[in-house]
Amino acid sequence: MYNRKIRGPLIEGDKTFSQISKEILAPMETTPGLWWYITFGISSIAALFGFYAIYITVSQGIGTWGVNNSVGWGWEIVNFVWWIGIGHAGTAFSIFLLIMRQRWRTSINRAAEAMTVIAVMLAALFPALHMGRVWLAFYIFPYPNTRGPLWVNFNSPLFWDFVAITAYLLISFSFWYLGMLPDFATIRDRTKSKIKKAIYGFFGMGWTGSSQHWIRFESLSFVLGGIAAVLVVSVHSIVSTDFAVGIEPGWHTTLFPPYFVVGAIFSGFAMVMTLMVIVRKIYKLTDYITDNHMDAIARILVFISLIMGTAYSTEVFIAWYSGNEYEMFTFFRNRITGDYTFQFWGMIVCNALIPQLFWFRKVRRSWVGLLVVSLFINLGMWFERFNIVVTSLSKDFLPSNWVSYNPTYIEIGVYVGTLGLFAAGVLLFFRYIPIIAVSEVKSVAHIGNKKED
Amino acid sequence: MNRSFKIGIFDEEGKFISSIKSLQEKEFKIYDVFTPYPVHEVFHLLKRKSRLPTAAYFFGLFAIIAVLAFLYYTSVINWPIVYGGKPFNSFPSFIVVTIVLTIFTVTIASLAIFSARSKLIPGRENTIFDHRATDDKFVIVVNTDTIDNSKSEQIAILMKEQGAVEVIEKEFENINA
Amino acid sequence: MMKKYWKSVEEFQGITAGDDRNNEDKYKNELLELFKKDFLSKNSSRRDFLKVFGFSLSSAALIASCKRPVQKAIPYVIHPPEITPGKALFYATSYYDGHEYSGILVKTRDGRPIKIEGNILSSFNGEGTTARVQASVLSLYDDARLKFPTSDNSPASWNTIDEQITNDLAKINSAEGEIVLLTSTVISPSTIKLINEFGARFRNFRWVQYDAISYSAVLEANLMCFGKAVIPDYHFHNAGFVVSVNADFLGAWVSPVHFIQKYVSRRIPDNKEKNMLRHIHFESGLSLTGSNADKRIRIKPSEERLILTELYNRIAAKTGEEEFPGVAGRTDLAEIADNLLASKGKSIVLSGTNDVEIQIIVNGINTLLGNYTDCIDLNRNLNIAAGIDSRTEELVADLNSGKVKALFMYNVNPVYDYPDSEKFLSGLKKTELTVNMTGSLNETVGKAKYECPVHHFLESWDDAEIIPGQLSLSQPCINPLFNTRSFQDSLLKWSGSSISWHDYMMTNWEKEYFPKAKMSGFQNFWDRSLGNGVFSYNISDSKPAIFNKEGLIRAMNSREKTGTDGFEVILNESVTLGTGMHANNPWLMELPDPVSRHCWDNIAAVSPADALKLGIQTGHLIKLADGLILPAFIQPGQAEGTVSVALGYGHTNSGPVANKVGVNVYTFIRIIGGNRVYGFITNELENTLKQSQLALTQVHHSMEGRPIVRETVLSKYRNNPASGNELHEEYESKHRTLYPEVNYDGFHWGLAIDLNLCVGCNSCVIACQAENNIPVVGREEVKRRRIMHWMKIDRYYSDTPDDPKVYFQPLTCQHCDNAPCENVCPVSATNHSSEGLNQMSYNRCIGTKYCINNCPYKVRRFNWYRYTNNKAFDFNAASDLGKMVLNPDVTVRERGVVEKCSFCVQRIQEKKLQAKLENRTLKDNEIKTACMQACPSGAIIFGNLKDRSSKVSGLFENPRRYHLLEELHTLPSIGYLTKVWNDEESKS
Repeated sequence: MYNRKIRGPLIEGDKTFSQISKEILAPMETTPGLWWYITFGISSIAALFGFYAIYITVSQGIGTWGVNNSVGWGWEIVNFVWWIGIGHAGTAFSIFLLIMRQRWRTSINRAAEAMTVIAVMLAALFPALHMGRVWLAFYIFPYPNTRGPLWVNFNSPLFWDFVAITAYLLISFSFWYLGMLPDFATIRDRTKSKIKKAIYGFFGMGWTGSSQHWIRFESLSFVLGGIAAVLVVSVHSIVSTDFAVGIEPGWHTTLFPPYFVVGAIFSGFAMVMTLMVIVRKIYKLTDYITDNHMDAIARILVFISLIMGTAYSTEVFIAWYSGNEYEMFTFFRNRITGDYTFQFWGMIVCNALIPQLFWFRKVRRSWVGLLVVSLFINLGMWFERFNIVVTSLSKDFLPSNWVSYNPTYIEIGVYVGTLGLFAAGVLLFFRYIPIIAVSEVKSVAHIGNKKED
Repeated sequence: MNRSFKIGIFDEEGKFISSIKSLQEKEFKIYDVFTPYPVHEVFHLLKRKSRLPTAAYFFGLFAIIAVLAFLYYTSVINWPIVYGGKPFNSFPSFIVVTIVLTIFTVTIASLAIFSARSKLIPGRENTIFDHRATDDKFVIVVNTDTIDNSKSEQIAILMKEQGAVEVIEKEFENINA
Repeated sequence: MMKKYWKSVEEFQGITAGDDRNNEDKYKNELLELFKKDFLSKNSSRRDFLKVFGFSLSSAALIASCKRPVQKAIPYVIHPPEITPGKALFYATSYYDGHEYSGILVKTRDGRPIKIEGNILSSFNGEGTTARVQASVLSLYDDARLKFPTSDNSPASWNTIDEQITNDLAKINSAEGEIVLLTSTVISPSTIKLINEFGARFRNFRWVQYDAISYSAVLEANLMCFGKAVIPDYHFHNAGFVVSVNADFLGAWVSPVHFIQKYVSRRIPDNKEKNMLRHIHFESGLSLTGSNADKRIRIKPSEERLILTELYNRIAAKTGEEEFPGVAGRTDLAEIADNLLASKGKSIVLSGTNDVEIQIIVNGINTLLGNYTDCIDLNRNLNIAAGIDSRTEELVADLNSGKVKALFMYNVNPVYDYPDSEKFLSGLKKTELTVNMTGSLNETVGKAKYECPVHHFLESWDDAEIIPGQLSLSQPCINPLFNTRSFQDSLLKWSGSSISWHDYMMTNWEKEYFPKAKMSGFQNFWDRSLGNGVFSYNISDSKPAIFNKEGLIRAMNSREKTGTDGFEVILNESVTLGTGMHANNPWLMELPDPVSRHCWDNIAAVSPADALKLGIQTGHLIKLADGLILPAFIQPGQAEGTVSVALGYGHTNSGPVANKVGVNVYTFIRIIGGNRVYGFITNELENTLKQSQLALTQVHHSMEGRPIVRETVLSKYRNNPASGNELHEEYESKHRTLYPEVNYDGFHWGLAIDLNLCVGCNSCVIACQAENNIPVVGREEVKRRRIMHWMKIDRYYSDTPDDPKVYFQPLTCQHCDNAPCENVCPVSATNHSSEGLNQMSYNRCIGTKYCINNCPYKVRRFNWYRYTNNKAFDFNAASDLGKMVLNPDVTVRERGVVEKCSFCVQRIQEKKLQAKLENRTLKDNEIKTACMQACPSGAIIFGNLKDRSSKVSGLFENPRRYHLLEELHTLPSIGYLTKVWNDEESKS
């Protein structure tokens, strides 16, 4: 069971329930500071740039990007995989930590899940945009139609992808929303303002906190948790099949599914850390999101980074061991050396080496250290995806087809836009939704505090 | 007709639990309890159960069969097409779709059944016996329509004894729950 | 479908030429009839409505008697009996632009010529065509064509112009002023007759023929040596050993298609009776011919003369003939001389240098070897060019001296391609009466007083005699689109004659050739000749030419100094653009040069060694001379100390595509000893260090040791036909599959490409582009590696950059039976047909580009932008006129759709349908893909792999057969045959 001597209390400073509600809901009940408006403004500008880029892409064509006859996928797919990876944080947090009985998750999973939902929605934007004829995207639905009916190609990883992401979006959203029901009710019942009462009342769905509600609530989250656990593993495995099923050198690898899943959780946790470090400072939630929590995430990250390192070296080893000349070329003469060395070594340094700093307690305990390292991991994971998508395509089987690839500002614009949207989304979340699952925190409020023992 | 209730309000989980116990010893029927977070002891005391997991299991079973049937029908019977030298029924590549679509179906079905059974629909207003229950108080509600005043007084006393911060008498015209 | 031949425009339009008016009236009346019928009929169906609708459109055009091309071109308002809408008609005609000749068939759909094929009956080129001939159909629909006659650059009617010209002529003639007709080479016997008659009417007349790329030296040399000013025909198929010097006879020189066919017929390794031809090539820049030679020796142009002299001496020494003074330093020549002697009488030595003395020495060598009996034919010579440089010089001088009073120009562009265009212009200004007759906008247009635009060759009557005794006819395949008039009709008008050129030609044929045909009735003869497009008769074999040695002696003893200091710049004809006459043709402009693989520019090819020395990188702008700054291109195999630059670029007034692309280097041609020398010497290359990105279609040139093009040498091949292809066996044995193989019944289409026959001429690329409506994307898009060609010819180098071996590999969709692209398309837009085709349904495609990525051959193309009706891509697909070339059988692809080679599925379906209607099975070789049909060397063979007897099946049995990247087990339907080099010294 939980040993306080070692781990200290989950929630600092033995609080009453009303205190918990008050402190957590404070950001919503008070108007935010100037910083909020500034950052929101900046991110909306970025988002606008993104919308412009999207408009150009859709109105003029994919030609406005840097992709070409050989490199058919560029930044858009890199970013797609990157965002999906980040989108794994929330569910991974809620599910895996739930399974592992890590109750400290309660103070983080809400934010993580919110992040997930936003990230996955943004990720889904890219596959749509990279279509030559996005207005016909509905062809991908296997619905009875007048064209035969002509169904879709169930062998295509891209179709698997589409299904997986839709399902993942639905589940992570419902999981997130479900968790918020009691909190909406709390707000509804605490607030003085009529409007808020009406709005949160509406979204609260008439939650009363009766034992009937609670038991069904728990068994539903149990069910959803169970299947979501499968999904967390499957979604990124499926994303990886986009490449693993292909025959391109550097793509056609059985290692990919686990490698991608771990990578996804890696980037997800990193992003969570980035956010949390900032949030707990700004909103003074250090009592709820304690140093111990950050420490725990850091430990997980250092462990995963070891796995990543192993994965990278395995990949290279297999390329050499297979003796396949195309694989050899891609890894040894187009990544380790060659045109794309920067991205390759960037990936190694950011993902495999820098996180090793977390072995030191000092780094794990300093918010600067946490922030910097987590940012490096986010960058490194982007490099990883770039490596996979672009380097393989740029120099594959027939040398006559070899080209290099450079993004245009439109492509970059779309990416910047999604970053902006992400930031904006997160800010709105802080503003209108409890950052921490109030009810869950209450349930663990006293663990490790004097009262219990 | 109006229905009257005795509502006991506690600020600590322990007192709240023991009060439930003592009420049940006296064979008072507890109408329902309201807590800010799930208290598992209560479920045992009030014998609350949920058959949702069972339902979910059958949803899943149904989904798997339905999806596989659909895939087979579309790609073997209805419009067979050769992709990259694969046979029409290239089963291994159907597995992925099957798994994911099953999960998809189960989710939707369970959500639907949940919101139907526990009457949680956007915009619905269920009766709130005491609004502090969602914040920091533990609330026990006993229906006093069928029992005479002396008994209902006894309930109030019992609750007080167990450390209820207050006990209210409330009447409701009609109950949404 | 059956080729349908018709006899004359008149016949198929049921009208008499010349009176457009009453033919329009006829249209109108019949239209009104039709309206009556359709409206009165109570049960008028949708079909009727459409009919009326369609007709009313065209009638509007007619009744408005509007002269705009599109309306004019709406064909068959009353459609002639032999025209079935949706069925193509093929008309035999011939292509000659003053530089290149081909007997061709023109495919017309609903009156629009849309595709050109070689005329199999033409013994000159058979079904083979060059890229330029393939592309010429597009120049018919070029907006830059001249649309009406002008006088002093303002529109004028033919009548007024004719009046003025005839008056002026009369005036000048009475004053005994000289009248000059300056034309490109004319090979039409009737036209020559006409010109002579025209000239005879004047007291003082001169006819000068002028070629932008001059073969003057060959003509003069042969005149001197054999008394005949001719370009001989080279019978490579009779030769066992060929030594060529600076002559790109497979790419550009004289008549590539004609030569390629003969050449490759001797490059077949397992030809029992005739041993494989061995070819040694001397040159400076890496040409197509050099790429195909078994041995390529790099020389500077200045060394050529010495080498040939030495070669002559070595042979003379062995044959006991008189030797001439000359250094004897090169050992490789000894070996070559021995080889030549070994195959005495069965060898060819030729040079492409426009220098009379060099040509005389070459003639000398060939005489020593007795090659004039079988291998070099002076009697059945090639009439491809007749221009004598000195006569042009003379003319320009006379123009300036004001001696010439009237100048008629036909199909020439001296302002662009005459070295001293300034001088020519000043002369032109001094001339009273100047008339320019040309089809399309060029630099000379607008400089003369009168512009009398001529028909496009697809609109006009003509005949040609490319080889004495081998005639061909040209017939109009469409009504003239613009208010133009054939050159010959103009001459007839100005010589006061009233008969039409068509009648003139017919009567001429009746007089000249009908007797030779020994047929009953001229009409029969005419019909047949017109139907076949060709007519040939035996010419009496004159006795073998006697070699006149004087010239040789003079040539050998003249010690004209050849400067060797500094860089020698070679100005060569480009394989794609030729003289530059067709530079406004976007297809040609975007056709990559077969060797350097660049387009949309002319570049300065420098040798790797020099580049290293001068720190030049590809893309650096380098200064070759004043006013000549070009992007450098490091060309492996370029002789050290030389730079090659292609002619034909740098137009200023030839239309939107051609203008301001590259630099015009005609102005750097020097005139030495009366001959135009295509090159000059510059002291140093100055690297301006400015960068410019070239439109390269291939940037990596090594195979990286991958078994992509598999090769062997003849000696190995004799022992083991599978030599060089051992991998094939190995991979075949390793193939395993999880799923049962799909089996095809009836058809399984396949394509065999013999890398040994392919010379890399690129005509298949344009043929494919024309057949499949492939858009032109323009320079910027090519730079971004987005060229759309479905069929491309990859070029690889091996060995050292200084002396590389060159390989060509036609690459298109491999139609894999285990196609990686099919598995990954989410919406099943690409899948496999029951006939083994990897098919692409554009309507279904949503453009995920996943198939492009997963195609190991990267042969799929994406419509990055909307390429039709888009002013950003202002090529033929953006103009109403240019769009008339589109093949109605092939969808024009929308933006955002993936496309690729379909094995010309439209052709497959057409032939299948036809066979079905005729209730028979398909014959082998009945279906020809566009690339196969255009290929001059027959390197591409299409057919049914299920039919064991088909040619393609036979080739698939060949031990040389392998598949590209077969280790991936994609099971391509395209098989390649290994390249065999001839390493054997020839034996007599």
